[in-house]
Amino acid sequence: MNKELRESVPVLTFPRQTFVSLFVFAVVWETLSHLAPYLGIPPFAIPSFVRIARSIATITPIDIAVTLARVIAALIVSFVLGLALAMAMYRSDSLDKYLHPMIRLLMAVPVVSWILFAVLWFPGVEFRIGFVLVVVCGPVFLVDTLDAMHGVPRELRHMMQSFRPTTWQYFLKLMLPAIVPTIFTSWKINISLAIRVVTIAELVGAVTGIGHQLSVAQELFSVADVFAWTLVLVVLLFLLEAMVARAEARLLRWRA
Amino acid sequence: MARMSSPPTIEVRGLRKVFRQTTTGQSVVAIDRLDLAIAPREVVAIVGQTGCGKSTFFDLMIGLEAPSEGAIRIGGKSPHADFDYFRGKIATVFQQDRLLPWRSALDNARLPLELIGLPDEEQRERALMWLNRLGLSQFTNAYPHELSGGMRQRVAIARAFAVGPDILLADEAFGHLDEVTAAELRNTFLELARECGSTAILITHQLEEAIGVGDRIVVFGKSATLLADIHVKRWDKSSYPLLREAIQSTLQNNRADPRLGNMP
Repeated sequence: MNKELRESVPVLTFPRQTFVSLFVFAVVWETLSHLAPYLGIPPFAIPSFVRIARSIATITPIDIAVTLARVIAALIVSFVLGLALAMAMYRSDSLDKYLHPMIRLLMAVPVVSWILFAVLWFPGVEFRIGFVLVVVCGPVFLVDTLDAMHGVPRELRHMMQSFRPTTWQYFLKLMLPAIVPTIFTSWKINISLAIRVVTIAELVGAVTGIGHQLSVAQELFSVADVFAWTLVLVVLLFLLEAMVARAEARLLRWRA
Repeated sequence: MARMSSPPTIEVRGLRKVFRQTTTGQSVVAIDRLDLAIAPREVVAIVGQTGCGKSTFFDLMIGLEAPSEGAIRIGGKSPHADFDYFRGKIATVFQQDRLLPWRSALDNARLPLELIGLPDEEQRERALMWLNRLGLSQFTNAYPHELSGGMRQRVAIARAFAVGPDILLADEAFGHLDEVTAAELRNTFLELARECGSTAILITHQLEEAIGVGDRIVVFGKSATLLADIHVKRWDKSSYPLLREAIQSTLQNNRADPRLGNMP
């Protein structure tokens, strides 16, 4: 990667202040873990970093891979469905009028309700998790991209139409590039959302994945394990966001 | 009406466009029974006051709007009903450059060539040739935000000429530029239009521009009624100030100035 691109990616850069605040947090945590018995706090509640490190060492990569695969697959499906529906709704006013209230309704349903519906409706664990992720993330992609399409300046739409493109050319050469910035924003929002939702969905019924491991840690009263798996989730989120930011910097370099 | 030796490229007959206001529900007549004929390779400047229906006429010419009554025929076909037929045959230059910000100058210039499905290499060659003609050979990879207003408008002109259009439409294309740049671009535009043998219609509110560019000047009154149809070549250059005054008076009074009738 060239120097310019590397400099334009802000994610995963740690300024001095970040290190200071993380260091202060670590010191407070470690101190509390040693003082816990004297403060009347149960010893398992605030484990030392040595104990947390031991939990990290036992982390099973397969669970990380399974969760990551679920998130990425569901995000891709949600994005494709969301974009396709947004394009159809942009083209057809009546479709927009019928579907928009439904989409708003879907977005108002709490994640927990979707998980319960999924458990009651579908027998397969993978399908349940996929369903919950798609039904939560899909509408976000749809609404964001549709709004962005409506926001494409009239002057550009007019100019493009004056050259008489086919419908496909119109979307491919005007609409899609015009909404790319919004698509990236939507991906960033949905990655964070999907990581949180997949964890909750895996808590119910799954026998693999980070959510399942968190459930096991809770049954064992192991705060160290919960801390370790949470750390994995946070790192995973940062890495995915960094990947999106890198792609964004590359594709949107015209905005520099 | 002009007397022409060859059949007109553009024929406008009884053109009427009525819009219904969404807020009040009232009808607004934007164009009221316009008749106009434009010969092949003619450069016609249309002048009129703000709100006289020039831009509506422009949209009707592009084919983005359908006439309420009457018809526009370009080479015998309707730009609205036969919309796809005119792909690559009509090109436009707008008031603002309307370049796609995510495309380089080269990619903006090749946009209409992509739409007509030319092979990649030919698209590139033709777009580069037009950018060179417009003095942008050093800026082919620049994005619009890296170019000045005049340079961006040059790219827009290159984009319009790249397809070799039969009809060129320009809507206040030079009005937002400084005088020197505007005059320079106007001359370039005119030179290229003549060279390509395109029929050109320029919509403008600047009389100097209309007199300097047009073979004919068509003066629109309210609702695009035809107030005057002036053949500029019949006027001696020394009488251009008089012509300017007469057009201005026509616009102000919404009726043809008698001096326009006393043409040599």
